[in-house]
Amino acid sequence: MFSYEKKLQYPVRIATPNPKLASVIISQYGGPDGELGASLRYLSQRFSMPYPEIQGLLTDIGTEELGHLEMIGAIVHQLTRNLTDEQIRQAGFNAYFVDHTTGVYPTAASGFPFSAAALGVKGDVICDLTEDLAAEQKARVTYDNILRLSDDPDVSNVIRFLREREIVHFQRFGEALRLAKEKMDQKNVYFTNPAFDK
Amino acid sequence: MYPRTNSAAPGGCEDASGTLPQCAPLAVPYVPFQQNSPNRYTQQQALASGTLFPGLDLPFRVKGEMRRDLGGPLAELQALEFVLVELALYLDTHPDDAEAFALYQQYADMERQARSAYEAVNGPLTLAAAAQGDSWSAWLKGPWPWHPTEGGNS
Repeated sequence: MFSYEKKLQYPVRIATPNPKLASVIISQYGGPDGELGASLRYLSQRFSMPYPEIQGLLTDIGTEELGHLEMIGAIVHQLTRNLTDEQIRQAGFNAYFVDHTTGVYPTAASGFPFSAAALGVKGDVICDLTEDLAAEQKARVTYDNILRLSDDPDVSNVIRFLREREIVHFQRFGEALRLAKEKMDQKNVYFTNPAFDK
Repeated sequence: MYPRTNSAAPGGCEDASGTLPQCAPLAVPYVPFQQNSPNRYTQQQALASGTLFPGLDLPFRVKGEMRRDLGGPLAELQALEFVLVELALYLDTHPDDAEAFALYQQYADMERQARSAYEAVNGPLTLAAAAQGDSWSAWLKGPWPWHPTEGGNS
């Protein structure tokens, strides 16, 4: 089960609203490589994963990603507070505004609503962990791109933190893949799928 | 075939490198295993960097460093908890690193004390802690974490 901690993992305090920046950062809330998809991917892959170390890792990283989802929501919320008429008309934010006002909705920056089609749960040990490695890289690049677009240190500091987490998670999933391979057929890791074959 | 003993014995890798098998089966990807007892930042440096481990601190340098001061009582607690999160992920894949587990226990103690001290001043962080307050309004009282004055630091 899950219970709530009334605080963020890392402080988010943004002095200057900037709806245009919010309209690209929202992609890490509900976009194809965002934190919602990340948490659902790992927390869903756990069920068929046969090895305790990797069940633990998927649980712990999936839980951390839920905390990151909350941080991204906080960034978007703070960037869109107290907006002027001129700011809501700004190209880049007006399309989001007409559908959601300043509510935080899981969508990609391109306008596509959150879709589970962007995450994979294949029920195969090597396949799921390889997907996770790719997922961390895709999220890392999205954060690189947000850093290219942000001139606000209050925002960039939080994005840097989240980006670094993707690198650490990539390392841990790589190690998990190594641990899994140790437990599999040493001559041919593709001989069976231990997530299904008993 | 898949060595995972990552002792810091002579002949081990540098801190920013990990171990790989000498020979390995084809057609599967490899990430080097982080060695046991890696170098560590302080908890404040760890929170500011996004990792406890200097060897994994690989920033993107599109613009200059703009790291700000994360000071304040909430950031202190967040730093301790961040170390616990980071060590938990490390221990998931390095369950035999006794030194890291001892460190986890040590930080868990520090976090418990810091949490009690923080909650005594700023109100409950969990529903379980809400029972310690005078009334339910202690839980509902803001600012909630997404508010710009989060943690009472305006």
